[in-house]
Amino acid sequence: MLLSEQDQFLSYNGEVLLFQLSKPKHAEEADDKTMNLCVRRMVFNRDTKLFVQKSSGVFSLGASHSKIEIICCSCTTDSRTGIILPCILMKNKKRNTVKYFLLLLHSSNQFEPSFYFKLDYELKEDVRLFAGPSLLWRHANKLFYISSNTCVVQSAPVQLSSVVWTGDIVGEGTVVLGIRTACLPETEDPDEFSISDRAIWGSEFFGYTIQTQKMLSGTCFMPHAYSRVVSSVYVCKSERLKKQLRISLVAITHKNQLIWFQNGVPKGVCELPYEKPCSVKPALTRRNDLLFVVSFASGNSCVVQRRDSLQVASKWQKVKSVLVDDFIGSGSEQLLLLFNDDADTDVLSTFKITDLGEVNYASGIIYKHDVPAAEGLQENGLLTVRALETRLQAGWTSVRELQQHLGLQKRVILESCRALIDLVEERTHILPNSKEVKCRRCLVSLWDDVENPVDSLGKETSLASEVPEHFTEELWHRVVGDRLVVGVKLTESFHLSLSEVSLSLVMDQDFSSISPIIKCQSKIIKLNKAFSALAVSSSQTEPPPKKMKLDLHRKNDLKKEFPKRSSRIQLDGAKTVTAVTSLSPLLAFHRVCCVVLLHARKQNHQNDSLQQSKKMTVLCGKILLSLEDISNDRYSVKMLRDNSYCTGSMEDILAVLAVSVRFSFQIVSCDCTLTPVSSWLLGEMECTPFKECQDNIFCHKAGNVHGTIFNWALKNPFEGVLTVFCRNLIVLFQCLHSLTRVLPPSCSVKLLKSGSKGVLTEQLALALEKEILTLKNSLFLKETKAESSLTWGNESGKKMNNAPLASLLDTEEGVQQFRKKFQHEREESVRTMNQTMNGALYQEIALKIAEAQLSSDMIVWRLA
Amino acid sequence: MKRRRGTEPEPEPERGCLRAWAAHSRALVGQWMTARCGGEARQVRRQQRDEFRELLLSIRGLPAALPTLPLELTVLYNSLLFTVGASDSAIKGEAEGIRQGLLRVLEACGACGQDLGMEELWQKVLQEVTMEELQAPLHRLGALQAAWWLAASRLGSVAGLFQLMSTAEDPGRAHCSEGQNKLLSMIKAWQVPPEGASLPLVQSAKDLKEILCTAAAFLQGLQELEAGNFPTALSLLQEAAGGFCSKNILAQIYTCLGCCSLRMGKPQTALQHLKRALQVDFQCLPALSHVAAVYHELGETDAEMQALTLLYEALGKNPPAAASSSPYFLMQTELLVHTPVLTSLLRHHHPSEVKYLLAQRCLQDGRVADAVEHYLDFLSLLQEGLQQQVPLDGSSALPRIPVVFLEAASALEQAGRHQDAITVCEEVISRTTDLIPRVVRVEERLEQPECPLPGAGLAGGLLSQKESLCCLAWRAAGYLHQGWAWAKLGESKEAVTQFSRCLSDLLRVQLHGSGIKQIENLQAEVEVLQKIRLLSLIGRGTQFLELGRHKEALLDFQHSLQISPGDQAAASYLVQALWKLNRKQEAAAQWQKFSQGSPGEDGRQQQGQGRPLPLYLVSCLEQAMFPHSEPLARSIQDYLGAAAQDTS
Repeated sequence: MLLSEQDQFLSYNGEVLLFQLSKPKHAEEADDKTMNLCVRRMVFNRDTKLFVQKSSGVFSLGASHSKIEIICCSCTTDSRTGIILPCILMKNKKRNTVKYFLLLLHSSNQFEPSFYFKLDYELKEDVRLFAGPSLLWRHANKLFYISSNTCVVQSAPVQLSSVVWTGDIVGEGTVVLGIRTACLPETEDPDEFSISDRAIWGSEFFGYTIQTQKMLSGTCFMPHAYSRVVSSVYVCKSERLKKQLRISLVAITHKNQLIWFQNGVPKGVCELPYEKPCSVKPALTRRNDLLFVVSFASGNSCVVQRRDSLQVASKWQKVKSVLVDDFIGSGSEQLLLLFNDDADTDVLSTFKITDLGEVNYASGIIYKHDVPAAEGLQENGLLTVRALETRLQAGWTSVRELQQHLGLQKRVILESCRALIDLVEERTHILPNSKEVKCRRCLVSLWDDVENPVDSLGKETSLASEVPEHFTEELWHRVVGDRLVVGVKLTESFHLSLSEVSLSLVMDQDFSSISPIIKCQSKIIKLNKAFSALAVSSSQTEPPPKKMKLDLHRKNDLKKEFPKRSSRIQLDGAKTVTAVTSLSPLLAFHRVCCVVLLHARKQNHQNDSLQQSKKMTVLCGKILLSLEDISNDRYSVKMLRDNSYCTGSMEDILAVLAVSVRFSFQIVSCDCTLTPVSSWLLGEMECTPFKECQDNIFCHKAGNVHGTIFNWALKNPFEGVLTVFCRNLIVLFQCLHSLTRVLPPSCSVKLLKSGSKGVLTEQLALALEKEILTLKNSLFLKETKAESSLTWGNESGKKMNNAPLASLLDTEEGVQQFRKKFQHEREESVRTMNQTMNGALYQEIALKIAEAQLSSDMIVWRLA
Repeated sequence: MKRRRGTEPEPEPERGCLRAWAAHSRALVGQWMTARCGGEARQVRRQQRDEFRELLLSIRGLPAALPTLPLELTVLYNSLLFTVGASDSAIKGEAEGIRQGLLRVLEACGACGQDLGMEELWQKVLQEVTMEELQAPLHRLGALQAAWWLAASRLGSVAGLFQLMSTAEDPGRAHCSEGQNKLLSMIKAWQVPPEGASLPLVQSAKDLKEILCTAAAFLQGLQELEAGNFPTALSLLQEAAGGFCSKNILAQIYTCLGCCSLRMGKPQTALQHLKRALQVDFQCLPALSHVAAVYHELGETDAEMQALTLLYEALGKNPPAAASSSPYFLMQTELLVHTPVLTSLLRHHHPSEVKYLLAQRCLQDGRVADAVEHYLDFLSLLQEGLQQQVPLDGSSALPRIPVVFLEAASALEQAGRHQDAITVCEEVISRTTDLIPRVVRVEERLEQPECPLPGAGLAGGLLSQKESLCCLAWRAAGYLHQGWAWAKLGESKEAVTQFSRCLSDLLRVQLHGSGIKQIENLQAEVEVLQKIRLLSLIGRGTQFLELGRHKEALLDFQHSLQISPGDQAAASYLVQALWKLNRKQEAAAQWQKFSQGSPGEDGRQQQGQGRPLPLYLVSCLEQAMFPHSEPLARSIQDYLGAAAQDTS
């Protein structure tokens, strides 16, 4: 406190001590040069609400040709008695030397000189009084101190740039907390966040104990980082726990912040309302709030309250001094604010006593009520406010509960709505051909039932003459990884007339010991050629007006009326049948020649597939594999990145698709569009579309996922199907994990089992229809043959009507129920006819029915 | 930490602030990531915002230093996102936090830029600060700055910023392909800095980029729409529709696309877009009202009615304000796009307005029974309280309330509920009584009324005069309706009284000057008044005829012909009156004159040339039509034939 003003205020035991330097009133008694140091004890009178002088004392300073000043005053412990006494540091400047002396003030208003010393410079920086009484100061980056015990100026062996605090620390005695330039440790940790504060900011804290003259670590006070900004500190509490020093303190910084530290860790920050804070001290008021009073260089003051967080509770301007003590004698501390008042002559006339709670006294206010009454009123008000606060809290809690409940309800409703919409859509609406690739896993042909392949081959080739010549366009083979892929491209006209298509590979050579049939897996792959969803041209032409129904709620109508923006270009309907087999067993033969056979069931188009079609086998050609070719990578797949496209021949793409595992995921977002998926594919996964079939995109990202093929088909902005063709499940996992980080959290991702639900349900419907028709036809056949006169058809028609198909086909149970009903009907009809039947005919019928039931069973299984 | 303290007796490793802050930041982000899926998102956001603020505050409590800046800027980024996310209203003003952040960067580099504007500050920072590790956090902060500027529609600043950020990487890609929007391609060309695991973000910069793209396209689309460049607007809005956004916004974009298409003269496309909007979000009711408007334009009244009915129902079911935003995203397109154009396009109709529209369309279309129902519904809505039911923002579709009453009366009358019509008109008459001055002087003004520079008072005067004329017209129309209603009820005397009241009210208007045409501003009102007068005179004339007071009738018809020479109805009645007075020759002469002078000319046709007649007068016009023109013509022709035979 380097107040240059003459008057010094000090609070002591609820009194205000006012120190003044004055010339003696009776000028004739002494000469001009004598100075008096006066002290006036002022106490607050609660009746008059004013400060009144209780007593006073004078100390005569016989100084000639000198200038006497008060440097500072403080209350410190007198080490002789242990009593805290006010003490005052005085300066007497005589030419070059300056004499400093410390006076203690006793309760009898008598001053006692404690010690004095002479310096050849003036005390300016970090002058502090502490227990003893003792005094320390900083000069030329060095620390000096003197105490009443020694009366000798000592210096500490440290270089320092400032002292931020002096006081007692438990177990250490008086400690000086200072700041100095950091001495940097040489080693640096490579971790990016482990650079030490000292390395970053270049200065550090240190503690110095006066008694034992040892150094303490600064980190138990504050992180070193703060040594660059802290200007003043107040240590609130220091204790030892298991030899560890635990310190709570509050610091003010040049950055105009007040920071609360506990055990060296910042626990709270508060921005101060004014610039240049210079001191901080605590006050403990009635409501057990810890207040921090901050004084600023500009003469402003503020109070920071510590509750949940640190907050500026109040601020004042033009404050001469802030004292903290129990001035009104209430048992807790108040703040006494003394304001700068130019006009007023009388001391302590402009003041304010407050504890930021119920106690408030200010000069110049006439109180109408008695203090106790007023206090009672305030008490009441406080209680009311507290009660209201509690009620508010309770209300707030219940409102929050209600909100939570509402939110939950809303979510349930939303979820149900979505489920309903899904259900409705799935059932009544066929998924648009968003699947550009249709892979259908067909039969695994093992062919171990063939006894003489060569013979059968001869037989089949003779059969082949029956089929049109141009049924296959191309036969190719590729090596992907350790697998061989053989592909047969079918002409469009041909594949339409076929069903259950599969390939088999038969070795041409005769190795007597080994079965010539090669175990392989067949797939049918259909690719849409050269269409890109990116190349959408927004239709600029006005569509013709349509007859529109106005039931806007129903989405189906809308969908019909809005053609997909990606208006489909004519499909290149060429299908390819592939067979995948393990390559390594074939390598043992050095050179292998394989015959590729196509198995299919030819559909009879004349009467709409009601007649069971004939199985047939067609020779597609031969492939030749040699070790050299494989070694030279002749048949390997080449996928190159060409600008924004991936170039690879159609065969390469098909080969990769054939060996990949296919997974489809339905991605639904409830509140935002799904653009992150495509940006994820094109960005993070570094995918590029194939030039040949642009719906499929190839992942170029280095690592395990390289080579994965994706297909992203948006059904609407909020729903789409992502199909992943990957080598193995780990790759799938990696892709999905990466995807989930990109997807909005509200998205749901669902695995679609073997084709979409919509397609499968349709298939099921068809299969069931077929089953019914088979049954009906066969019975009619029987009927006509038996020439029965009973009208069976009518009855069946009736029965069909009262079982609404649509409701039954939804679930497996429904299907079962339906079948039961049908079985019942069949039995009934048989009973009614009560006719004998040709054994062969019955056999045929039974076989057909069993086949039809098998196929519908299969679909139900896939759907489940 | 306690455990560590217990087990390790040696001095623990120094805990640096940087490490502590980084850990705190990570913990906060982790908290958010787990909490954001919960129900209490709003609460969590507030809490997180405060915690991030506190962390930022303590970081800023120390001098800026290069090693800590990446962390500081990341915390700033997260903190700003929470500020946005917690407020949940559109972003406004400058982002002061960003400014401080940039100043801290400069401080650490030993430069200063206190007095620079935001644009210059960014320029200085991006050009002068070249530290590799600062680039990513600075760019992310740049994206946030762009969001703030977009919200303020400062597209130029956004473009400049992205220019700066892209030149820092590759100057070659700045130019964009032909026909593409410059700003959009610049945002798209911006390379999102990769997100490090050590400095997690509460919303990725990638998300932010997508949101910026959508918002920029949407905003520019709206600007072009406002400027009338519809094809550009269309392509921009389509771009926006393909971007990342919520259902709300997508529905809004589709609605704007619909409006744009409509203005381009493609109503069918407009319908498609609007339907798509509804498909995406049925809460986007403005789309439904636009649908109704399109159907109105197309003349498909049935469809329009159904749309309006649906709109009314939807408005009744759920208050339109219940638009919930996604709890997962802090920054959203919703917060960036809020322009007056959009507000006006997405204006929510009030239920009462929709009800009125329904009633009005029904009446216009001649669906009298429906119209009566709707008008009565509307009037009962009014009974419930005007303030709550009627938007008073001036952009309402509602006409003045007396007009609605008169239309209702007109509908009631057409539905044959004459007594009710009389009651409704009585309401209008009694309410307007005090509002009409004894004399309304409409004077020709020598000075041009178009120069209102000093004449604010003059304009005000004109306005109040207009208001008086309106009131007068309403009141007169009320009497007119009552007259016709009484006439329908067969109370001719009462009818005559009402018609007379109407006419005497109309006498309060004094037209000065050389005619009506000079008074440009008031012409519409004056025309209406003249029409009312004409219809009233014809009405009274017919009632006189009923009462057998043919001479008085003749006088009225003559007057009405003076007001509107060539009016078919008036002329026919005149002929009939003459005929009944047995002045057959005159009648025949008049008949010949009119039938030759205006072959096929119709009162309504005449009307079509000028302004459209107020809806409430249409029914009166129909009632004033001469009903017996065929028999009259025949008898006159017979008479003429006989006369010709006589002369020959």
